Amino acid sequence: MPVEVILPKVDMDMETGRISRWYAKDGDAVTKGQLLFEIETDKAAMEVDAPASGTLRDISAAEGATVPVGQAVAWIFADGEEYTPTGKSDATPEATPKAAPAEMESAPHPYPLPAGGEREASASPPPSSPRSRGEDAGRQMRGNDEAPRATPLARRLAVKAGLQLADISGSGPKGRITRRDVEANIAVSSPMPAVKESLASTADAPLHAVWLRQGNDPSAMPLVLIHGFGADLNSWRPLFAGIQVDSPVLAVDLPGHGSSTRDIPENLDAVAEQVERTLSAHQIGPFVLVGHSFGGAVAATITDRGNADARALALISTAGLGPEINRAFLEGFVGARSEASLMPWLKQLVVDDSLLSKPFVNATLAQSADEGLRAAQKVIVDSYFADGTQTFDIRPALASLRIPVRVIFGAGDRIIPAAHVAGLPGEIATHIFAATGHMPQLERREQVLRIIQELARATA
Amino acid sequence: MDTTIRELSYAQAIQEAMAIAMERDERVFLMGEDIGVYGGAFQVTGDLVHRFGEDRVMDTPISELGGAGVAVGAAVTGMRPIFEFQFSDFAALAMEQIVNQAAKMRYMLGGAVSVPLVMRFPAGSGTGAAAQHSQSIEAWLGHVPGLKVVQPATPHDAKGLLLAALEDPDPVMIFEHKLLYKMKGPVPEGYYTTPIGKAEIRREGKDVTIVATAIMVHKALEAAETLASEGIDAEVIDLRTIRPMDRETVIASVKKTSRLICVYEGVKTLGVGAEVSAMIAESDAFDFLDAPIIRLGGAETPIPYNPELEKAAVPQVPDILKSARDLVNGVR
Repeated sequence: MPVEVILPKVDMDMETGRISRWYAKDGDAVTKGQLLFEIETDKAAMEVDAPASGTLRDISAAEGATVPVGQAVAWIFADGEEYTPTGKSDATPEATPKAAPAEMESAPHPYPLPAGGEREASASPPPSSPRSRGEDAGRQMRGNDEAPRATPLARRLAVKAGLQLADISGSGPKGRITRRDVEANIAVSSPMPAVKESLASTADAPLHAVWLRQGNDPSAMPLVLIHGFGADLNSWRPLFAGIQVDSPVLAVDLPGHGSSTRDIPENLDAVAEQVERTLSAHQIGPFVLVGHSFGGAVAATITDRGNADARALALISTAGLGPEINRAFLEGFVGARSEASLMPWLKQLVVDDSLLSKPFVNATLAQSADEGLRAAQKVIVDSYFADGTQTFDIRPALASLRIPVRVIFGAGDRIIPAAHVAGLPGEIATHIFAATGHMPQLERREQVLRIIQELARATA
Repeated sequence: MDTTIRELSYAQAIQEAMAIAMERDERVFLMGEDIGVYGGAFQVTGDLVHRFGEDRVMDTPISELGGAGVAVGAAVTGMRPIFEFQFSDFAALAMEQIVNQAAKMRYMLGGAVSVPLVMRFPAGSGTGAAAQHSQSIEAWLGHVPGLKVVQPATPHDAKGLLLAALEDPDPVMIFEHKLLYKMKGPVPEGYYTTPIGKAEIRREGKDVTIVATAIMVHKALEAAETLASEGIDAEVIDLRTIRPMDRETVIASVKKTSRLICVYEGVKTLGVGAEVSAMIAESDAFDFLDAPIIRLGGAETPIPYNPELEKAAVPQVPDILKSARDLVNGVR
């Protein structure tokens, strides 16, 4: 049976989308995951991939057409599958000529045909009340006339939280929405909890920081962790999950992230100063500093300034080694408001996207729902990564360091190219992991942990 | 209170309750088939005939309708009879007296009389006594306004509910599961009552409410222990009285757990679990349900004689386990 290509819902309150561009045409061979077309809503542009491999047929919405969510815009016939016209989407009774039952009956058809048998592309926006015909798509997208299954409790919680059941995917039998599903969505769409009000609003206040581990050996030199852009201190938790470590571990929320101030300092020195103040508030003596991506640049800056007693430095997929950075990622990530629009960007972070756990995605989504946080992160993008360029350089800092430094990259990093490690001072060790993206601490967890622990032991 | 608590069997607890009642109140007397020198079909009356004499522990002829009529008449005229059926199934023979006389008189005579009658019904399957001696007919009587219907599940409640029934001015039907007669449990000495119309939470839990009656309470508790080892925290409610039913306790529990299983030995259709389920669906606990309600009741069949089929005809621990797992894991 041919696979339906539907217009996906990429935004919570999206009802229609405009197809701005097709990247494949009728008759093209397509492979699953290949970019098929691009849609625009009033909020975002979104690329849609092929849901299956085969031959693209019966494109029913031309470029510029506005299509209701869930409506079929094309079909993909598997290789060897006999092509029979599918008929265009059934959503346009008045836009299509009278049905031709005789013809329909004479031609055996893989799908029950709707009242309109025409399959020419229609550029005019079809009226509302779309129904997708494919069973899977129907279940996933739910036509407007099909009420979602939900338990009484789920319904009540959804009403209370102001959520539409149609926007929640049910994990129960037959797609039934249960309390768990609603709560997962509440976690995603509600703003950050009340912590926000207690946020430090002045630049002088220390940043939010949490001891992730007390450490088996309290006399061991602590690890201080600085996360990357768009993350927060919790992003380090998976690295240490279920693992005993000797060193106490302190993780810091950068300004504009997690529970720290939303005021973004003007330059890396000012960010570094805030972290330094935070460390002295936590009475940190000598320590091993670990930074990821943007946090790597902050870490290198702190080490260079010499105000804090960093004895070793591990930089994971660090920023600040070259001008290039994936601008589309930064903008897409900051702009994403739904799981559908966020996931494609999160997938850019890793080579194996099965590593993107539900909690990770939910946590990221929860952040994206926090307007203040998002605004702050936009400021970071506009200033530190203006015009898709890393406007800062940590190479001079690294060149003057006299402590052990390890630089860790994934060869498949799609955010910051691993090639940036070229030309680092000879005494800096670099570790490049094959088949690894921008998150080696997630993708090569054991190895990264080992490198950090080696560094800590060597320094002690 | 200054009472000693000992271990008694369920049957001993009932016998003790009847003895205490007869000592306290000379209007109390016992009637039933073979309850005198034979001590009762299940030896519940035991040697009471020797302690209280044949005037107060009366063997009746094999005529349930006649015996029940005498008991209703005695109650109306100021006595406090306790009438024992040999098997609850034989209540069918006495329905006229129970349903049309005992349950109606207070209403039809404008409150001029009451019927302080207590009837005891050895009930349920599991003894290999086949279709005519193994039924659970409590829902039949639970359907009759004017009656109160209780199902004690423990020796403590067997004694307390019997004494409470004797205090009650209206007819109270006590269903005693035959497999419970030998079950031992703590029973306080002396006089006490267990409130009619009040359920008891036997085990607190947060994941699923299991409302059970009679012997099913113990099966539910056994299942709950297994479930606990799997991380499922079941709350077990012993309904104790099916008419009038303790709605508050069940509603509060379902609001807490969001899931409900009813376990009862009577035939599933139109049974106690149907009433509990519908009551929850009508209550404000409805909005707290996060899964369908499950009823585990007796099969739609007469109780078979074959022991394996007899077991299969009523809910067992594995049935409860499966239902609870299915609900909590979102399979149903």
